[in-house]
Amino acid sequence: MAEVVLNEVVKTYGDIYAVNHVSLTVADGEFVALVGPSGCGKTTTLSLIAGLNEISGGEIHIGGRLVNDLDPKDRDIAMVFQNYALYPNKTVFKNLAFPLQMRKLAKAEIERKVLSAAKVLDITHLLERKPRELSGGQQQRVALGRALVRDPRVFLMDEPLSNLDAKLRVQMRTELKRFHQDLEATVVYVTHDQLEAVTMADKMAVMHGGFLQQYDSPKNVFDNPVNMFVASFVGSPAMSLVPLEAVSHGSDVALRSPEGWELPLSPQNARKALGATSNQVVLGARHSTVKLHSAQTPGAVPGVVYTVEPTGDITFVQVFLGTSVVIVSLDPSVTVHPDQKVWIEFDQDKIHLFDGATELALAAV
Amino acid sequence: MSTPIRNTAAMTATTTSPAPTRRRSKKPIGGWRWAGRGILAFLLLFTALPMVWMVITSLKTQLAALQYPPQWWPNEVTFENYVQLLSPNNAVGHEFLQYFWNSFYVSILSTILGVVIAVPAAYAFSRFRFPGRQALFFSVLLRNMFPAVVFLMPLFLMMKWLGLVNTHGSLILTYLTFGLPLSIWLLKGFYDNIPIQLEQAARIDGATRFQAFFHIVMPLSSPGIIATAIYAFIMAWNEYVYALTFLNSKDKLTLPVGLQRFFSEYATNWPGLMAASFIMSVPVVVLFLVLQKYFVRALTEGAVKS
Amino acid sequence: MTIDVAHQGGAVPAPSLRRRPNLLRRIVRHWNDYAYIAPAIVVMLLVIGYPIYYTVELSFFKTPPNLAMSQKVFVGFDNYRAILTSQSFRDVTYNTLIWTVVSTFFAYVLGLGAALALNREFLGRGVLRAVLLVPYVISAVAASYVWKWLYHSDFGVIGALSVQFGFTDEPINFLDNIYTALPSLIVVNIWKEFSFAMIMLLAGLQTVPDQLLRAAQVDGANTWQRFWHVTMPHLKGVSMVTILLLVVTNLNSFIIPWIMTGGGPAGATDIWITQIYQMAFGRIRFGMASAYSVILFIVMMALGYFYVKALTRGDEAKSE
Repeated sequence: MAEVVLNEVVKTYGDIYAVNHVSLTVADGEFVALVGPSGCGKTTTLSLIAGLNEISGGEIHIGGRLVNDLDPKDRDIAMVFQNYALYPNKTVFKNLAFPLQMRKLAKAEIERKVLSAAKVLDITHLLERKPRELSGGQQQRVALGRALVRDPRVFLMDEPLSNLDAKLRVQMRTELKRFHQDLEATVVYVTHDQLEAVTMADKMAVMHGGFLQQYDSPKNVFDNPVNMFVASFVGSPAMSLVPLEAVSHGSDVALRSPEGWELPLSPQNARKALGATSNQVVLGARHSTVKLHSAQTPGAVPGVVYTVEPTGDITFVQVFLGTSVVIVSLDPSVTVHPDQKVWIEFDQDKIHLFDGATELALAAV
Repeated sequence: MSTPIRNTAAMTATTTSPAPTRRRSKKPIGGWRWAGRGILAFLLLFTALPMVWMVITSLKTQLAALQYPPQWWPNEVTFENYVQLLSPNNAVGHEFLQYFWNSFYVSILSTILGVVIAVPAAYAFSRFRFPGRQALFFSVLLRNMFPAVVFLMPLFLMMKWLGLVNTHGSLILTYLTFGLPLSIWLLKGFYDNIPIQLEQAARIDGATRFQAFFHIVMPLSSPGIIATAIYAFIMAWNEYVYALTFLNSKDKLTLPVGLQRFFSEYATNWPGLMAASFIMSVPVVVLFLVLQKYFVRALTEGAVKS
Repeated sequence: MTIDVAHQGGAVPAPSLRRRPNLLRRIVRHWNDYAYIAPAIVVMLLVIGYPIYYTVELSFFKTPPNLAMSQKVFVGFDNYRAILTSQSFRDVTYNTLIWTVVSTFFAYVLGLGAALALNREFLGRGVLRAVLLVPYVISAVAASYVWKWLYHSDFGVIGALSVQFGFTDEPINFLDNIYTALPSLIVVNIWKEFSFAMIMLLAGLQTVPDQLLRAAQVDGANTWQRFWHVTMPHLKGVSMVTILLLVVTNLNSFIIPWIMTGGGPAGATDIWITQIYQMAFGRIRFGMASAYSVILFIVMMALGYFYVKALTRGDEAKSE
């Protein structure tokens, strides 16, 4: 296993930056998820690590070796593709054997390794089948087996679960995590699903527009998003963001909405709000930190219920605060109806404040 | 950076319900369907009757063929014409079989060479982005537009200069380029449909670019290669203009040109000519019927794909 | 895996952007890729590029009948002038137009009819389709001889049949009559190529979404309206390509007129290509024939422009 280091990596297509000066280090044995919406550069970054795309600038090291100009075959990596990329004309056995054949291993050795990999993944009974005769989950295992069979230094995975149905996805997620723990493998995992990243990864790298936004443990990314993009991308349902205006009343600071209500800030938050480049401040709150009141309450602000979405154990309520939407989670026993007038109370210790102009998180000075 | 604050109002857009599926109506067969059957019946007769008459004539003696009104069915069915053409011991048969062999040899060789050249080119056009790729590709396609006769004079002079006039080499070289544009176009369509991830997977699995192509892509594109080969073979088998111009010695002629000599030299032996036409059509029709699926694909690929 | 390209704004190009490599550098970088197409390029330059150049060159020369090209004489645009002002050019062009337009029209219409009629499951559909395609795959030479026999002035079966059914009193001499020769050849040409249109349009019909037809049916459209408003718009692209290919094929026809009539009688079936061939290899006037070819060439280029446009429309739609 090996460490992967990206140093100021750039990939351009013409004048477009697909990957824009991305630097990050994946420690030996670490599971890192590259997440972001489609078009954010995560898959391109993975291709650059794999050597499938030519790098435009910067350096990539795998296990201490500069691999910029190495062919994919010389980088000692394995990759699992979104559509599995199983060779349709080869049986499962031959699919698994292919990487070993290409490395000119002896026949007996190949057979031994394939069988042991097949055993680990519980696909021994499928070895003589062709990929099209397999279910999605089985194909997924074969793809994993093909990566596993030759002990690569790094596993690269490109949305390996996105073609599975929801139930299987949850199951494979657990298995992948277990697989990583058992092998102590270095894994770079691309996904657009932040939930996958949060549940599986040691660290997540959130990308957007070719830039690396934040690279940290899922907990830190969730608790301290560095900007509004990360805040809204990580977590489900997304963090509610309400653009407001900071106003001072003597030493007190409040956030004022276009409708006229004001939300007084705690001293800690007031200092943050004053650090903004302008008086445009965006208030962010996760659904679990917001309280809903059916009657006017001190410190709460007025809104109107838009939709009520029961999910079973939690009911999500979308509330319009002026033109912004705030999502609140409630116990299913509480009854609320659409168009009901409600009051929303924010937890001063758990709200996030963002600079409305730069979209960056505001920190206490 | 955008602020994806959820715009809930957009959610109110009504979802369109799928069009209700209806069982096929059990109404009596309408006028349109009868019109369709009429067209098909007419076209079947239009298509088949000339060929039927070719076969009937080929089963007549020369005397029986030259009668008015014609014998609708030969009074005396004879296979003499076929026997004569296919027995190597008489002069006519010897010559005819020589033409047949020449046609076969030229067609098969130009087909094989054509595939060997077209496969890597089509692959490159499908996969790589290199400067001039677009322009090259259109020049390849434009070859389709130019009449054979336009190329005839310069090629004739060139073949003369190369010393290839009256050799099969001249035809093979020409047919090769004949088939290339379409072969490349067609194969490119096949390669476009093979996911690039398969090659990427192979390269990560330790294959070089060429090995990935050879072990993974080539086997997957074999239907395309078959389609291309059939098309090229049939084109070469039927080609007339170049063979007419480039070849002049009797023993070198291919069937289409040979047939003409046959026609003029043997004083309009119509039954014999019909039999020869029939035999000449057999290989391509059999090839076409057996591999019809591929041939149809060869014809329509590209133009129809949206 | 689609290549992730950043579309979102905000990606400010950093100052350290590497200069875009110039064309030469890029070609050098990709030399490996060119190796794949090199054989194709070499062959095509040899057999296509050079002939085009040479044809254009020859069109400005008077060439000697012994084809010793060192003795050719530069005559400027004389060849072109001679061709364009001659009466025969006008007659041949007229024949070519009739030949091309009528053949293309009927081949397309019959092909469309056949495709629509074949576009539903019924017993024997595959066999029927195969039989209809046979004329397209067999040699045009064989087809020409078969039809020549059918049209035979004394023993032709068509003449005999028309007498049998009382259309005429005696067999018609189809190919030796300046009024019937060209139409007779056009029939052969349509016989040979209508199934090409059929197969193209049949493939095109597969792209018409069934749901749309059902929706139209639910909306109350009758058969004709469904055809005109749903099916035809989907066939537009295929039809364009098919018609263009038919036009090109017909402009390039040689075998049928050459074998059946040799351009006769009295030039009634002479079209551009037979004329060029006759000029070059009958009268050995390569210079003149080359000029003729260049004229044809220019017409083809104009058509080629539309051809490429029709073909690439699909490509663009796909990449969007």
